Amino acid sequence: MRRYTSPANRNFKATIIDPIPERNASTTVLHSDQDSLCLLKGCLLFLLLSSTTFYAQAENGNGSVPFLEKTEFKVGYTGNFFWNNGLTIGAEYLWKEKLKAKERKRGNRINTHQFLFNANLGFTANFSTKTDTGLFTNAGITWRRTNKKGKQFSIELNPIGYYRSFLPETYEVKGDRAEKVFLAGRGFYAPSLSVGLGKRREGKKLSGRYFNMNLLLRTPFNSGTIPSISFQYGYRFHLKKKK
Amino acid sequence: MQMKIITPISRTIVFLITGFLAFSCSLEDDLESLDDTVFVRHKKADMPAYIYGNGTEKVFLITLHGGPGGVGLGFRSPMFKKRIEKEYAVVYFDQRGSGMSQGSYTEEELTIDIMAEDVLALVKVLKAKYGTDARFFLLGHSYGGTLGTATLLKDQEDFLGWIEIGGSNHPYGVYFANLTNHTRVANEQIALGNSINYWQSVKALVLGMDNTTRNDTDSRKLNFEANTAEKRLANDGVINRETNKADIAFEYNLLTAYWNTRTIQSIERRFFGEINYSDRLSEITLPTLLLWGKYDMIVPATFGTSILENIGATTKELVIFERSGHSPMASEPNLFADEVLRFMELHK
Repeated sequence: MRRYTSPANRNFKATIIDPIPERNASTTVLHSDQDSLCLLKGCLLFLLLSSTTFYAQAENGNGSVPFLEKTEFKVGYTGNFFWNNGLTIGAEYLWKEKLKAKERKRGNRINTHQFLFNANLGFTANFSTKTDTGLFTNAGITWRRTNKKGKQFSIELNPIGYYRSFLPETYEVKGDRAEKVFLAGRGFYAPSLSVGLGKRREGKKLSGRYFNMNLLLRTPFNSGTIPSISFQYGYRFHLKKKK
Repeated sequence: MQMKIITPISRTIVFLITGFLAFSCSLEDDLESLDDTVFVRHKKADMPAYIYGNGTEKVFLITLHGGPGGVGLGFRSPMFKKRIEKEYAVVYFDQRGSGMSQGSYTEEELTIDIMAEDVLALVKVLKAKYGTDARFFLLGHSYGGTLGTATLLKDQEDFLGWIEIGGSNHPYGVYFANLTNHTRVANEQIALGNSINYWQSVKALVLGMDNTTRNDTDSRKLNFEANTAEKRLANDGVINRETNKADIAFEYNLLTAYWNTRTIQSIERRFFGEINYSDRLSEITLPTLLLWGKYDMIVPATFGTSILENIGATTKELVIFERSGHSPMASEPNLFADEVLRFMELHK
């Protein structure tokens, strides 16, 4: 190791210490916190109104199928195992259903194609550093195909989504002052897309299970948009009345 | 029926919120073995500072990672944990747009000036949390050296000393210095009979580059080659391998960190060209320790010599690590720790 001191000190010299080998485009700010809050409110309002309509429909006795007959709930793990882990709960309301028959050598195969409205609420956290904790909600539409063995393939698109991060101890600095922020975090518009497989359990209270791969975008995040990938594994169940 | 649905959902929500609050509450601070994560909110960004080590003397070593787009905890190698944190509190800071920092700002709000103000904001936060009697040293590696210089040129009052490792006060100047340095090292290694074919290819690469005007493509090529060259030097036993590295696999969501790095590096080109603090180094009067690897192929040691000659500090020193490249803290960790601790002990 060589050591040099400054020439200004008039001691500019090289001291050789025995080397000890140690082998060894600008993004437009679309949503402020205020906007994001409005989005969350809108999302919740949508869920509330939908539920109210469905319940009203159920109570009317006008011949239409009651809400609970067409609704499944789900609960499951969400995360990527290494960094973020959390829980998600949600509901799926059957909107349209079609049976499609295909002729095969061994006889006809009937697949069920469904369109469902869905809404989710989830929580995710990095327990190691606490820097990536968030609560999210989203709503959208799911397309699902179920074969005669009950095996399912689904694509879930949630264009309405909101993610609220929760930060640990946070201080805001303005001028010379640093003040602690209560419940610090940021709101992001967070649409998502899931693609997954599942299995329907006919006639059971626990009506199915699913395994999805989910892509969630958060924007505006720093100076752009950030994607996050997670896996979702869970169970669907219904609350239908026993007949 | 409605109640039956609502009740379990409500219970789940209450359970989740309770769980969240339990995990978000920090334990009472223990100065002897600090383990805190504090976010700094400043100019539309929230940036985490991870604070570890011995804070009994309230002497904090603030580290500035390279990149831009590196991660704060990238510094937290076994040497930092065992040696530096044992004596002092070390603050690992994810800069704006890096690591797990988040926020909402335009690309125009991502400048070295604002990033330097972020560092000064961090100091204010640390004072608010640990008391106004807290004292600070600033340490910057590579781009962190550039950022540290920018910070000190804004305000050096709160700092006791400045430690710069392989940094540059003129990032665009690195290109021209590297043209010379690559040729020099290539000639030296060919004369020694080390990886002759490789070093001849390096010489050919340099010869094909414009030595009068810098361009992004050539600069990136040269930077890439610099990393390869350091690996080659390590393979040939000229320098030590960088074994003392931090394990950040579980600390960062690597996709988030990678995405942030990719984004900030695409923006960095815009503001890098404007940075040149060469004429202002005399304004920095803090005790300064410059640490450079002799075979730093990314920011050659000539930058260290130049800073030593021009910085305004009366107490200043340049230490060249004979068996290191760009990151002496990873290749000669014990010598590195000796130097840092000696400097801090002297000036705290």
